[in-house]
Amino acid sequence: MLHLRMDRKASDNVYLHKDFHNAFNLAIQYLTDNYGEEGVRDYLRYFTRNYYGPLKADLLERGLVAIEEHYRKIYEIEGGDVTIERSDDPEELVITVRVCPAVEHIRKLGSKLAPNYEWSTSLVHETLCEDTPWRAEFSGWDPQTGASIQRFVRR
Amino acid sequence: MISCTEFIPSYSLFFSWLDETAGHDKVLEYWKYISDNYLDMLENAVREKGIFGCWEYWKHSLNEEAADFVQELYLNEDGTGKFSIDMRYCPSKGRLLEYSHFTPYYDYCSHCPALYPPMLERYGLRGIADMDRVDEAACGETYYMDNPPAPEIAAAGWKAALEELATGEGITGSLTEK
Repeated sequence: MLHLRMDRKASDNVYLHKDFHNAFNLAIQYLTDNYGEEGVRDYLRYFTRNYYGPLKADLLERGLVAIEEHYRKIYEIEGGDVTIERSDDPEELVITVRVCPAVEHIRKLGSKLAPNYEWSTSLVHETLCEDTPWRAEFSGWDPQTGASIQRFVRR
Repeated sequence: MISCTEFIPSYSLFFSWLDETAGHDKVLEYWKYISDNYLDMLENAVREKGIFGCWEYWKHSLNEEAADFVQELYLNEDGTGKFSIDMRYCPSKGRLLEYSHFTPYYDYCSHCPALYPPMLERYGLRGIADMDRVDEAACGETYYMDNPPAPEIAAAGWKAALEELATGEGITGSLTEK
């Protein structure tokens, strides 16, 4: 008989399980198939209002630097080809994504990107900006690479 | 972009949304959908290497998820054996317990036994879950391959297990006659 044993502590590894991007993609696909586009929208708003409550509070308190810091931290962990820029206008933040690490990983696994997957960015940003002095814009979406331009500006 | 490091809250809130929108049965339906559609990596590994596929799959996942765990495999050359995970601190449930600004889905931990054993059963693996301590983010699961799989599957699993024993980083173990 052969015996194998592996003993790991949480501190032995960095928390980065990119296969979760595919699981999230599957959830969007499932929502689309079973609850329609309105189901996708409703869930993403529900998620944003619940999970990003502290980020929204930070946005209201400190302004766009809250979103800037949030995304700098995320892309530092996730990688991708991304530029996060603040212009001279303190009320503007532009995130230019040339290669999205989430879409890149989903494609690498050979999975089909769910329809309206980009709403997990655009709609999340719109919901985050509800009842704040800012609005979110989203353009240049490329489902092959996940490229997009995400802009936050003063209303 | 929702980061993969934010997936667990998105998952938990997805279960909550489904439950509030359509009821707990629809959550169970979703878990069945994942079990049928999202376990390709585990299914392929088990199809090719039998119970060693469990070792391979969870080694990959639990290390990337930075879990606090022990996993063990007892394997016979005919492909029968036992695989177990002692999850001392589940990174998913652990994270959910640490959040104070939203309520984790009350039945979150039930997704694991709903996902894995039904699929593995198709490959001759019998699963037992220990869910007594999920409120402390601790649990266990054990899978038994009671009957030998096809000889080529047993041989592939045995060969891979021998390689793991010889070269696997941070792996301990032994090879005995019985």
